[in-house]
Amino acid sequence: MKTLRATLSTLLSLLIVFPIVYSISASFFQYTDFTALPARLFPSRLNIGNYVRAFSESFLARFLLNSLLTAIAGTLLRMAISILAAYTFSFFTFKGRNALFILIVATMLLPSDALIIANFMTIRALRLTDTYLGIIATSLLAPTHIFMLRQYFRMMSVEYREAAIIEGCSDSRFLSMLLMPMSKAVILTLAIHSFSTIFNDYLWPLLVTNKTSMRTVQVGLTMMGFSEQLDYGPQFAAITFLMTPILIVFIALHKPIIESVSIRFTGR
Amino acid sequence: MKRFITIVVIALLALPMLFAQAQEESAPYTTITWWHPNSGLVGTASEELIKTFNRTVGEDLKIRVEGVYQGKANDVLTKLKPILQSKDQRDLPDLAQLDGSAVLDIRDSAQLITINELAGNEPEYLSKIVEATLNSITYQGKILAMPFNASTILLYYNKDAFAKAGIAKPPRTLDDVKTAAAKLRQTDDKGRTVFWGIANVPTTYELMVWLGHQNGLTYLTDFENGHIGAPTRVLFDENGTMVNFLTKWQAIYDTGSLANLTSDLNGAFASGQVAMILASTSNLSTIVSMVGDRFEVGVANMPMVDENATGGVNVGGGAIWAFDNGKNNQWAIWEFLKFATSAEEQLKWHIATGYFPVNVDTYELPEFKSHLQEHPLFGVASRQLMDSNPKLQGIWVPSAYQIYYAFQSGILKMLEEKQTPQAASKAIAKEINGYLQEYHLMKAR
Amino acid sequence: MIFPALLLAVLFSYVPFILTFLNSVHAVSLGGKRLGFVGLANYRRLFGNPSFHASLSNTLRFTLFFVPTNIIITLLAAVLSNRKGWLANLNQIFFFLPMAVGMSSMLMILKMMFNPTIGIINRLIGVNIQWFNDPNAAMALLVIAGVFLDIGFDFLLFSAALRNVPNDLKEVALINGANGFQIFRHLELPLIAPTLIFIVVTNIKNAMLISAPVLILTEGGPFRSTQTLVYQMYLEGFKSGNYALGSAIAIVVFLLTFAALLILLHLERRRIYYR
Repeated sequence: MKTLRATLSTLLSLLIVFPIVYSISASFFQYTDFTALPARLFPSRLNIGNYVRAFSESFLARFLLNSLLTAIAGTLLRMAISILAAYTFSFFTFKGRNALFILIVATMLLPSDALIIANFMTIRALRLTDTYLGIIATSLLAPTHIFMLRQYFRMMSVEYREAAIIEGCSDSRFLSMLLMPMSKAVILTLAIHSFSTIFNDYLWPLLVTNKTSMRTVQVGLTMMGFSEQLDYGPQFAAITFLMTPILIVFIALHKPIIESVSIRFTGR
Repeated sequence: MKRFITIVVIALLALPMLFAQAQEESAPYTTITWWHPNSGLVGTASEELIKTFNRTVGEDLKIRVEGVYQGKANDVLTKLKPILQSKDQRDLPDLAQLDGSAVLDIRDSAQLITINELAGNEPEYLSKIVEATLNSITYQGKILAMPFNASTILLYYNKDAFAKAGIAKPPRTLDDVKTAAAKLRQTDDKGRTVFWGIANVPTTYELMVWLGHQNGLTYLTDFENGHIGAPTRVLFDENGTMVNFLTKWQAIYDTGSLANLTSDLNGAFASGQVAMILASTSNLSTIVSMVGDRFEVGVANMPMVDENATGGVNVGGGAIWAFDNGKNNQWAIWEFLKFATSAEEQLKWHIATGYFPVNVDTYELPEFKSHLQEHPLFGVASRQLMDSNPKLQGIWVPSAYQIYYAFQSGILKMLEEKQTPQAASKAIAKEINGYLQEYHLMKAR
Repeated sequence: MIFPALLLAVLFSYVPFILTFLNSVHAVSLGGKRLGFVGLANYRRLFGNPSFHASLSNTLRFTLFFVPTNIIITLLAAVLSNRKGWLANLNQIFFFLPMAVGMSSMLMILKMMFNPTIGIINRLIGVNIQWFNDPNAAMALLVIAGVFLDIGFDFLLFSAALRNVPNDLKEVALINGANGFQIFRHLELPLIAPTLIFIVVTNIKNAMLISAPVLILTEGGPFRSTQTLVYQMYLEGFKSGNYALGSAIAIVVFLLTFAALLILLHLERRRIYYR
């Protein structure tokens, strides 16, 4: 029974990882390897020409820069906004607190993809098309993050904070010196999630950017225009190049990644 | 500390805006942006054109052209429309290469610069452009855009397969197509088709010809296919051309040799799964290179629907449209347009892609003639056009994308659900009329 | 301190929602100006539009196929690899690695792998499935793409939830003669129920809103068989400039998603009551 389980598990996992393996292999294909019939699994020779072409014949470097800048700036802003909001909702009482909280969290029910037409008109009216701010604007509010952070903060007992305040600790110091370090794991997980959400966004950046110089890598990747002629090499090279650093990070840090998810859900 | 955080947040918000706009080319070069849908071999050719210009005329006159690939022709239009509607000129490209699906949306734009305006002091230059292509882009006496990538639709066929099936000549009418396809079809021992006679689901491109060339010339919509006003309804239902066509098409399908493929037709043809496809002459270079030496490629005129369908074909492809973005680049735009449509450049463009030259002088060049001798396939498109009724024009309709799908879905439904051509024609007409009427609802009162 | 969050909520969620609703009950010009109140006329035209019928049925069909398929595969992956040893670790890494591949990248890889003529998939399985020309195959391809896109994250959640099941409970069950399958059904499944519900809910929401795989892989084809609601919204709103119709579709999407979530939450409450 145990070996059956292990075999099934391994087979399934190989299936799941196959596209990644294929991408790496295909990034070395020559044009003739692609049009060969029957289709090939491995390249005939190791050919790095695709990588050269991906960078020289397209704006890949620029796309990557745009994606990184927007994802980093967006994540920092998003986390800042979420943390401040969650902190306020956790530890302060004021009139309308619950109502406002529901107001913010209820936006979870309004999926931004469904509002894309109206949001586009807003961004256009604010003259933010083809700007980084325009790309991240709709991703800055994370109601799920605020919700989770508030749950987590509330687990820190209120007395702890009151004690700190009595000791003369100001709010901002409490937040930055005590609360955030204690919530490191959750914040890190949410930050990684934010980063990948913004980095992976497709439809919104597609609509908001017209200039090639402002495109993010997700949109730019589909517009590299090599595939008309079945010349997929440079595209695979670009894809493989993009995923390699993250792959390495994931493989190296697989233990912390898997564990941080558990911690987050213990708090539920 | 709270204030510090607030300051940090504001700073982070401000930072992206610093990087916001891409830097403009500094003087003294005048930069022109050209949005285009050219990729693959065609993309390489347009890049070559731009590089040559920047090196020669551009260097002399201090003009730099920047080509931006925006996706397919319809995607270039999708990107352009919001900018035109926002009435903010600054974001407009100087030039955009569009096809017939864009005409209705763009022709009334305030920011459009007509070719008549651009030609200004040199109207005689326009006499060098193939007249049929100019006519295809003229509206109410104004030339809306500069013809650049002119094509007609062709029948591509596998000569080796034809020889093996004992068919001497490519089919002339749809009835011939039926006979040929039936002969070409091959099945395996289980009766499944492994080699198809023909693969196509007719849509706007094919139907413009197959409906339009019946009886010498018929219109698909009112207002002369949208050339003298915005269409309000289709005519192919009431004038019987659709029913006529669908009957013939259904007959081909009933032989079992028609494959309803809508994507990767070039690939299916090149890999030897299908004997005949319909495609633009602009695919010629691409298809020939994809086929390699697997078999010999043949190219022929679009089959006629019946013996009365003598209208020929319409000019397809696209043109380059010029816009006023407030930068006063008209003079530079005109220089580039002259270059792109010059005899030499059109020859190179033609050889690299398969589009036929829009400059009449190209046809006289010795290199053109020798190339034609070696590659006779390249001459079929322009000859087909010259034998056509010059009044046969493409349709200028809104919602081109949806209409494209309306034709395809309607025809597929007829074939798979065994509807009558009359019922199918009615259904397709109804759906397309819906789109035409929606457009009128959207026009500001 | 909550001002930024509130401002964003209003500006990018509530205001657009109201605008979308308004646009759906007015005639809207190509420039985006509201021209006149038309009541439910846009909706009536929408429901008569065959393209909309296709979008609606395709989106519902996709949701129906995708959610159970994805849950089963990801849950299976989590359960099968929930064991000790270096091989299990390797399995787990492989399972969440797709998360490292961006969405566009994964979709482009799949697009090329599933090319009927020269793609590797048809060669490896030994078939000649027309992934992009056959409506059923295209829908299957969308489901497959959806699984690859979601499996990384969902697997992590399931894995974590399974690991939270106390080992001593499992040992007690083993001592009492339960086999692996029974342990899963009666012990682990109820304990991971909250996570399961969470994943099902997010899967349903994502499925109803699916757009990028349609845009990149199939473009709604063949013959609109993979055209989904959000994709049609994009077509009407951005390609045709028909903001009124596009907004009407948006409101329909919202209502459907909302209804699906409500039904699911109601079911969850009943289940807990049951326990």
